[in-house]
Formats: sequence, C-alpha cells, structure tokens
Amino acid sequence: MPLHTTVSRLVTQRRGLVWLGVAFIAAASIFVLVTRMHLDTEVLNLLPRGFSSVEGLKVYNRDFAQVRELTFALVSKPGDVDKLEEFAPQFAESLRQQPWCARVLAGSPIETPEGIHDLQAMAVPLLLNLDPAAFDETLALLHPDRIAERLRRLHEEIEGGSPRPQFELTLDPLGVIAPALKPFASNAAIEEDQPLTSPDRTMRVFLTVTNQPTIGAFDCQKLMKEVNAFRAKAHEGWDGGPLEILVTGRSAYVAEISVSMRHDIIITILGSIVLVGGVFYVGFRRWLPLLGMGFSLLLCCLVALAAGLLIFGELNMVTVGFCAILIGLGVDFAILIFGRYQQARDDGCDHTAAVDEAVKNLGRAVFFGALTTAVGFLALLLSNSGGFTQLGVLIAIGIFLAGLFMMSVFFLFLPRDTPPLRSDWIFTLVKNYVRWTVKRPSTMLWIATPILLLLALIAVLPKPRLIFDASTQSMEPKSSDAGYALHTIMDKMPSRWEPAIAIVRSENQQQLHDYWQKVAAHWAQVQESGQIKSFSTPAALALSPERLSSNRDKLRTIDFAASRQALEGAIAQEGFSPETFASGLTLLDELARVAKPGTVVPDWRTLLPKSSSWWFLVDRYFAHDPLLSTGFVTTNEPITSQQQKEMLQRELPVAGVPMTLSGWSFTLTDLVPWSHRQLILISTMMAIFDATLLAFLYRDWRLWLIQIATLALAVAAMIASMKLLHIPLNLLNVLAFRLVLAIGVDYGIYVLLVWQKAKQLEHDVAGVVKPVILAGLTAIAGFGSLGLANNPTLAGLGIACAIGIFWSLAATIFFTLPAAAAAEPKLWREETPQTALKQTDHV
Amino acid sequence: MSKKLHATTFAILFGLLAAIQAEPLSPPDVKALLGRIKEKRAGAPQIHADFQEEKAIKMMNKPVVSAGKVWFQAPNKFRREVKGNSPSVTVSDGQQLWIYYPKFQSAEHYTLGKRSPLDAGIAAITASLNLEGVEQTYNITGAREGNGYVLQLAPRSPSMKKMLQQFEIRLNEALQVERTEMLQPNGDRIVTIYSNESRAPIDPATFAFTPPAGTNVTTPLGR
Repeated sequence: MPLHTTVSRLVTQRRGLVWLGVAFIAAASIFVLVTRMHLDTEVLNLLPRGFSSVEGLKVYNRDFAQVRELTFALVSKPGDVDKLEEFAPQFAESLRQQPWCARVLAGSPIETPEGIHDLQAMAVPLLLNLDPAAFDETLALLHPDRIAERLRRLHEEIEGGSPRPQFELTLDPLGVIAPALKPFASNAAIEEDQPLTSPDRTMRVFLTVTNQPTIGAFDCQKLMKEVNAFRAKAHEGWDGGPLEILVTGRSAYVAEISVSMRHDIIITILGSIVLVGGVFYVGFRRWLPLLGMGFSLLLCCLVALAAGLLIFGELNMVTVGFCAILIGLGVDFAILIFGRYQQARDDGCDHTAAVDEAVKNLGRAVFFGALTTAVGFLALLLSNSGGFTQLGVLIAIGIFLAGLFMMSVFFLFLPRDTPPLRSDWIFTLVKNYVRWTVKRPSTMLWIATPILLLLALIAVLPKPRLIFDASTQSMEPKSSDAGYALHTIMDKMPSRWEPAIAIVRSENQQQLHDYWQKVAAHWAQVQESGQIKSFSTPAALALSPERLSSNRDKLRTIDFAASRQALEGAIAQEGFSPETFASGLTLLDELARVAKPGTVVPDWRTLLPKSSSWWFLVDRYFAHDPLLSTGFVTTNEPITSQQQKEMLQRELPVAGVPMTLSGWSFTLTDLVPWSHRQLILISTMMAIFDATLLAFLYRDWRLWLIQIATLALAVAAMIASMKLLHIPLNLLNVLAFRLVLAIGVDYGIYVLLVWQKAKQLEHDVAGVVKPVILAGLTAIAGFGSLGLANNPTLAGLGIACAIGIFWSLAATIFFTLPAAAAAEPKLWREETPQTALKQTDHV
Repeated sequence: MSKKLHATTFAILFGLLAAIQAEPLSPPDVKALLGRIKEKRAGAPQIHADFQEEKAIKMMNKPVVSAGKVWFQAPNKFRREVKGNSPSVTVSDGQQLWIYYPKFQSAEHYTLGKRSPLDAGIAAITASLNLEGVEQTYNITGAREGNGYVLQLAPRSPSMKKMLQQFEIRLNEALQVERTEMLQPNGDRIVTIYSNESRAPIDPATFAFTPPAGTNVTTPLGR
C-alpha cells in the first residue's frame, strides 16, 4: 500500500490510535520540559567557540571579581554641580549601608585616611619585592645620615611653601613606602585613567562590589530588585534639581536580559500566533484547520524543545526565538497541505480521498522543503556558536516534525463534511494574476526584472554602504536601563573607554612575578613608541619568593636601633611633631621584625582589610585564584578597527609568556572576519547545496537557472533593502542570509514542481500559488514578530529574515512564475479548452 | 606658666577690644565694598608687595616663619620669592606651577586645573590678591574695624571646604590688603602680613619660569 494511502487511512479511520500517540508524545515532552528546564542567560555563549578572545572574555567574566561589580552614576543639571559634590559622600555612605553592598569606591583611595593607612599596612611585602637595585637604594634611606638629611630638607621645603612635604609625610614619614609603591603607582592612578567625576562635574561615578551569592540570572534579578528599591529612595537629602541615579554592570544586564527573555517568549509567540493565524484565516476562512495547525505547531515546539533539552542539557536565550521561527516555517506546510486538501474537496473528493490527494501531491514538495530548510538551519552548526547551534538543531528537528505532523495530526482537526467557500477572493485574484502572467510572461518580466536588477545593482555598488555594526552596543537589549547608564557614563567621560585585557595564567608565584616583569618591560617599550596610550599590570603586586628571600638577607644588615635613634633625633632637631612620624616608627619596627630569621613575611592580601577601597584595584588584576591575573592596555582610541586589533595582537605578546588577549571591544573586532566568513563562505556553501539539490529535483536546466536567478536576485534585493533602510548587519544577523536561502528556495520548489507537472494550469498552478503567498506572508509575520523581541540578536535576525523572505516571495511570484511560463510556453497551450479537449480525446 | 597666662589674657582682651570696635557690615555694604575694591583695582590689575608669613601646622611643633616678596597679575599669575635660610621661588602662569629651591637645585612642577587639592590651595592663596569675583567662590561677611575693613570668607564649594575652613582678609583705609589669616580644616593656620604694596606694571617674564640647567625636576602629583 502506498505511503500516502496508509497515512490517509490512519488519520481518517484510526483516529483514536493517532490521538493516543499524540497524547503520549505530548505528555513525554511536557515531562522533560518540567523536569529538565534550564535556561542559559550568558550572552557570551552566543559568540563562537575557538576564539581565544572569546574564551578570555568568558574567563574574565567567570573568574574575576568585576563580575559582581555595579557602577552607579549620579547625574545632575549643570547648575547643581556643587550640590552634587556635597551629596556624593552622603550617597556613598548610603551605598555602604546597603546589605547587598560589600565595598564602595567613591574616589581615589589615596585621598582618604583609610586608604593611606591600608597602603602603609601592605608596604613591607611590596618593599621586599623591589628589584635588587631599587631595594638597595631604598634601604640606603634608612641610614642615620640619610634620615637626618631628608627631614632637614623637608623642613626647608615647608618653609619654602611647598605642598609636597605635607603629602609625603602623610603617606610616607619614613621615606621607604614611596619607592616600594613606585611600580604600583602607575596602576594606582584610578582617577586619571578612569575618572570618577565627569569633566563638567555633572556626573559622579561610584563603583560597588556586591555580595550576591551567585552570578546566575535569578540572583541577579533579586539583587537588582533591591538595588532599584535603593535607587527609588536614594534621593533623600538631595535638595537640587532633577537628579538621575543610574546603575550598570554585568548583574544589571543579566537581570534585564533574563527578565526580557520572558517578555520575548510571550511577545514573539503571541505575535506569531496572531499574525500567522490572521493570515491563515483570511486565506481560508476556517476555524478548525486553524486550530489544527496551531495544535500541530505547538506539538512541534514541545517535542523539539524537549529534544533540545535532552541533547544540550540547557537552552540558550536565543532559542526563545525558536518557537516564533518554527511557527512561521511550519505554517507553510499546513497552508500548502490544506490548500491542496480543500482543492480536492472542491473537486468532489471525500475526506479520505482528499487527505490522500494532499499527501500524495505535496508529500515530496514538503519533504524537500523541510530538507532544504533543515539543512539551512543545521548550517548554524558551522557558526561555532553554542546558542546558534542549539537554535539550528532545534529548528531542524522542529521543521521535520512540522512536516510529519502536518501530514498526520493536522488532518485530525479537519471535519469530514466541509461546505465549499462561497467566494474566495484571494484565489480569484491569484487565478487572474496567474492567467495574465502565463499569457503575457514577457510583460511581467519587463516590470519585475528591471526592478530586481536595479536592486541587485544597489546591492553590489559600494554606496550606499551596508552598515556592519560590530560595536558592543549591537549586542545590548533594546530600551535597556543598564545600557542607557553605560552610554551616559561613556558620553560624559569620553576618555573612559574599554581597554584591551591580557590574561596570564601561571603555575606558581615566582612564575607569575617573572611573567609580569617581562610583560611590563615590553609594554613600556610599546607605550614609548606611541602605539598604546597607557597600560597597567599587576607586576608590583605579584610577589617573587626569590626576591623576598634575597632582600630579607640584605635587610639584616641594617642597624634598626641606630635608624630609629636617628629618626627620633631628627624629628626633635627639625621641630616636627612626633605624631606625624608614628606610622614611620611602626614601619621601622615591622622591618626590624621581618629581618629576623624565621619570621614570616605576611602576604599583602591578608594585610588589606576586606572593606578597603584598594581591593577595587587589586580585583581588577587578580582572579579568585591569585595565579590567574590580567593586565590592561588603553589604546590611543577605542578599539574598532582590524588594524588596531592586529597591532595589539602583534605588539602585546611577549615571548615565553602565555597570554590571552581579550576585552569586549577587542573580541567583537576579532569576530568581524568570522562574521564575514559566515556571510560569504557559508552562505555560498548553502547556495551550492541548494543549486545541486535543485538540479537533481528539476532535471531541467532552464527551470534550474530560473530558480538560481530568483535566489540571487532575492538575496541582492535583501541587501539593497537593508542598505536603503539603514538596517545594520551585526555579528549575528549575518546568519539571516543562509536562512533566507533555505526558506526562499522552498517557494520556488513548490511553484516549479507543480508547473512541471501541471495539467490544468489555472487549477494546479493557481492552487499552489495561493498557498505559497499565504505561506510567505505567514513566514514574514513569524520572523517579523521577532522584531518585537528585546534581545537585539533575535530582533535583528527576525527583521533581516522577514525582509529576505519578502523578496524571495516577491521574486517567486513576479519573476519565477513568468520566467517559467516564458521558458516553457507549451504548458499554457495545454491548458486551453482545445488542448484540454485533445487531452480528453487522447485519454 | 605665668608667661602663657599673660599671653592668653592679652589675646582675650585684644579680641574683646577688637569686637567692641568692629562694626558689622550689612550684605549691601559688603557688596558695595567689593565694588569699590574692584573699581580701585580695575585700573591696575597687578600688585607687588613684601610679605611675612607664619604657618602654624600640625606636623611642626613650632610655627614656621618666612618672609619675601610676592607679585600678582590678575586673574591668576603670581610669583612668590622666599628669602632667608631656605630660599624658594614659586611661579605660576595660571596653568603650571613651579616651586624652585636654589639651595638644592631642585624644582617641583605641578599642572593646575585638574581639580586637585592644589588648585583649591592656590585659589585660596591668591584670593586676597584677587578679590575679583570672590563672592562667587565664598560666602562673605564683613565688618568695619577702625579705619579699615575685615572680610570673612567661607568657601562655598565642597572642594574648597576640604582645603580651607575660613579665610580672613584685613584691608586698610586705602583698601590695600594688610593681613590674611587662613584656617584649614585640619587646624593648620597661616597668617600673612603684607607691606610696601605697589601697583606698578610688572614685567610679564616675572611669571615665566624655566628651571636652570642641572635642576632636578620632580612632579609630585604625577602627570
């Protein structure tokens, strides 16, 4: 028994059995969804694997404390800058009192007594870490004569009116802390490299580290709920004009993205259902088939999502767009099959025969349609992106299921007795168009071809340019508060742009020290040559056990009693107050202590209080594992070009030091060639696959050529539209081209396969063109509904696909059909009454 | 002990006497006084005078006394030469500040205008010499004392407040600055007495500075 007959009997005569199977599949899928649902909100998982910059970014996000950092900004009107300056400490104090806040940085730590005290506390290990020459020079300052000379000079400088002695004696009464911190000093210039006040003084920035238990989406949402409650009442005490309290950071973004996922799922599915259902109803004016189609598509989504969870263990946020895409694609099959079924019923077939006719006539087309679309989406496997791989696999599974369910489950909803439509204005319109264009194909071709060629010309001309946006902004959610805060900060502080980062992992402390010494020396040369603006490394904080040991040996040669006596004598001699030198005397005692054999030199990490603002600096450099560290390179201007990226890749690495270069701007720039490769190479491969498949399918070079030309013109029109409408391509929506190729080719297949075998042109061709138009419109609606998503990747992909499918549909109707009619005009003659009569005679 | 008691008693009596003699000025009077000063200085926006300074700072047991000459050209150029055992030259053209120690052949170089504490300090130092627009930076009260005037300046902006708690300027009958007293939040107090004021033109080269060859130049506040 042929397959189509088996299917038609099964769905018409064994309905209970089919329903039971459906119930079982649905229950199993729901069970998997409920028990295994895990959403991956990490935006980095959308980026391709195999790039060291991407991997570096993941390491930086996962292992460094900045992942828990939130940046607050207070923005006032220009007339309120003095009030803002007065309000800032109050706001910082309010932040410190929040239960979710672990640390606050409201200004350079060196400007506060606590910051100075913390720095003095960790001076000993840093002093012992100095290179031999610098250590000898510093140690010489403890000689009694040098102590007396230094204090005399400071006295004279005070008399001379210099502010320097006051700064120096506050931080470093003994004179050895400054040399110890010298390698650290360039790093400590937070206020210069990353100012906390905008040049116009209308904005103050506060850095905080939160104590959120995990960096997962739900903890980020919980944190941001508390943060937003704080923001709502943080104006208390402010008596100026309007004051904006902004917040940004990873947690702010993750909370927004994860919340917007829910919005995206609801809005895209609802959008798809309403738009697709609307198009279907307008086309056929039947409720039950619409219900059947909706049910079948829902079943596809359920099964595919369950399969996705079983395969991948979790679902990435971009896969939330899956349902909308699947509805947009799967509905094509329902429309085509129902169109053919309805036509058979109109021709007088009963329910079973009409089902048999629909499956028999369209089974092949649906199979090849599903195959090309599935292959198109499976090509996403080549993207190397975890998120898009999942999307591709889920849709490939879903589209095959859609083909299967539309030729089985869908028929369960079709009533056995259906009254014919009184008037079908769409079919009448389509029939008239088909009749006209088949009779006068050249007229239609003379209209359509110049338009499509003009668009192709626009597509290939260098101007207007196709915008390619590889900025970090292209990855941000729409209407993002965190994004607004970040851009406000960037706009008000133009000097504050994201540096490139260099991640270095070492096996032990000595290696870490040696690596960074080499890197710092090399980067200093690169800076000297003007290729970078500045850099900072943890070199001064990476302790060398070898140096500590050798410098301690030298420390034992110092007569600390004599030094102390000299210091106390000079204080009295020069008239300084003893309190000024209290911390210096303590430091002298501490040096004397560590000079003794068997004494342990404390790790500076243990000397720095947990609440110290210096941790903001330390955490920039060291991960939770102190052997994993990073340095920062600020370029002369923000990293946007390949030249900048290549210069950094060429100049920053140091022989013998394993280094991973990364940073958001660096990574996105690094991914541009990948994205171009996605656009050109993989789309070309897809086109070759389609071309081969079509050649096999048609076995007619004229029809093959027509379809290839249609695809080329449709893609060119898509590019031209994006150029003219200023719709940018980004790193991820370049994937739209292959999807358009995969989907667009189906319309041609449906039309040309029917054209090849059509006996009654008006009946057969118009009978398929109407469903193709409806299918195209529903696919456009399905993808277009993704444009409503907050996720820019999803929205960009949806809009690009909707434009591409529009042109594929338009090219199929206004170019493929007349071109086929022009290439094989005999088909029209077969349809004339005379020919029909002759055919009957022959039969 | 006895000497200290006498000194305290004298200070209290002097203060009381001054208070009895002081006649507070109303805000319009202060405004009018500032207007007169502005008018007087408009014709000659430069000043040259001798000074004597006494700094009582917490890190020193005894006040530090110095003397020298000062030159000022509105709005922000100045030069200050300290004589004696610890000579120094401080020169500012409004953007750069140099402090040169001939004895050590060393110089400190500061860049102004970065809203560092130094800017607030310089603004305080030059306030008495440049009373132009001073009411925008300070809340000002005044009193007439004998034939002269006393102006009390309290900084408005938080950055100035960090450097300066109160600033008192004494002017003589001719509206020349005679004495200033600066009280800093940490308790440091600087009293400067001016004499031999001149408003003769000043050579622009006075406010330029190039370190002599062999000078060791440092930048204590970094770039």
